[in-house]
Amino acid sequence: MSTGTRMVRLLGTVSLLCGILIVGTNLATSSRIRHNQEIIMRDSVAELLPGIQKQIIYAIEPSGELKIVAGIEAGGPRLFAGYDGAGKFLGVVIETSDRGYADVISAMYAYSIEKQAITGFKVVDMRETPGLGDRIRSDPEFEKNFEDLDATHPIKTVKHGTKKNPWEIDAISGATISSRAVGRMLAKSVEDVTPVVLKNRERIERGN
Amino acid sequence: MSEISCHGSGETAITAEGNPFRNGLWKQNPVFVMVLGMCPTLAITNSVRNAVSMGLATTFVMVCSYGLISMIRTLIPKQVRIATYIAILATAVTVVDYLVKAISIPIYVALGAYIPLIVSNCLTLERAEAYAGKQPVIKSMLDGLGMGCGFTIALIMLGAVREVLGAGTFLGVHLFGSHFEPWVLFLLPPGGFISLAMWLLVFAAWKERSAKRAAAAQEEAAA
Repeated sequence: MSTGTRMVRLLGTVSLLCGILIVGTNLATSSRIRHNQEIIMRDSVAELLPGIQKQIIYAIEPSGELKIVAGIEAGGPRLFAGYDGAGKFLGVVIETSDRGYADVISAMYAYSIEKQAITGFKVVDMRETPGLGDRIRSDPEFEKNFEDLDATHPIKTVKHGTKKNPWEIDAISGATISSRAVGRMLAKSVEDVTPVVLKNRERIERGN
Repeated sequence: MSEISCHGSGETAITAEGNPFRNGLWKQNPVFVMVLGMCPTLAITNSVRNAVSMGLATTFVMVCSYGLISMIRTLIPKQVRIATYIAILATAVTVVDYLVKAISIPIYVALGAYIPLIVSNCLTLERAEAYAGKQPVIKSMLDGLGMGCGFTIALIMLGAVREVLGAGTFLGVHLFGSHFEPWVLFLLPPGGFISLAMWLLVFAAWKERSAKRAAAAQEEAAA
């Protein structure tokens, strides 16, 4: 057997074995991972809407209608409407995602219907560079962008230290790509999802 | 048995002689002797919990992949050995990634970004090339276990210094009263470098002292 054939055979066999191992582990752990992701989602919603006692999860159907779903199984963007113990409406949290520097960044943001502004932001999953891009999860200065981010105007990420308008996000110095990804995901989600929220405002506030 | 030069320190010579498990633990400790795998060493050692998790994840990857690499070592053509090692290491890392994601959310949140880095940790590839690709299965797995445990111990030593000084806690338990002012610098990247330098200084001083004592004992014996 020639060396070339040996190399192809060996690499093919190793790749096949590796593929089987990865797929097998994925299948064996997927339900548990889904369960954990659901816990992360619920915790994130609770953090973004303090005082929440009850939540209703809505999936947005392709027709633009809202459909109540049980949990994480729904595909597409979801809305989490939060209520306190007395059933009073507290606000909505919307999930969003976009491609970051290393991989897809998944996040959630609190949207105030009254102010039509983003009032909180939390990264749920990401693979951004440790020490640089991953600061979108923990940088207190970056978090300040989302205290009252105007959502009536297209959201835009600007260079660090140049933020002038309430709809702009001040990027993290050294993590421009990750900061821009956050701006993009919010701008797109606000454009696509908030009209549905505003259209169904009464229904969401009633919780049905 | 041949001597293999180590990429990390540039001076250290690694021999395949001796007990492969004990070598990794101390004599050829990957962090304090070979100075390998500095990325996770400096990045995640801001708490003992992170250090233990990263150490165990790396140990698991090394033991499993070295076993497999050693098993097929005679079948691997020389030209594609690095590609084969990386495929096997990357598979083990992906498996660990899924397992951590399924087992513990706090650990996944703390280590999520670092787990994929295990595959590019020069320690894992260096030992695959220098040891597992040449030695029998059991010895290779023992080497992986020893190196992994040595790596974990080093991370814990660094993590302990940084967590105690930087947060005033050990494994999340407060050690000092409310009057303690944490030295936050130790939780930040410069704290990683300072802690590592301190440990390296301690070991260098200890090594020098031991060498002087040995030399004195030799002189005495000769006299």
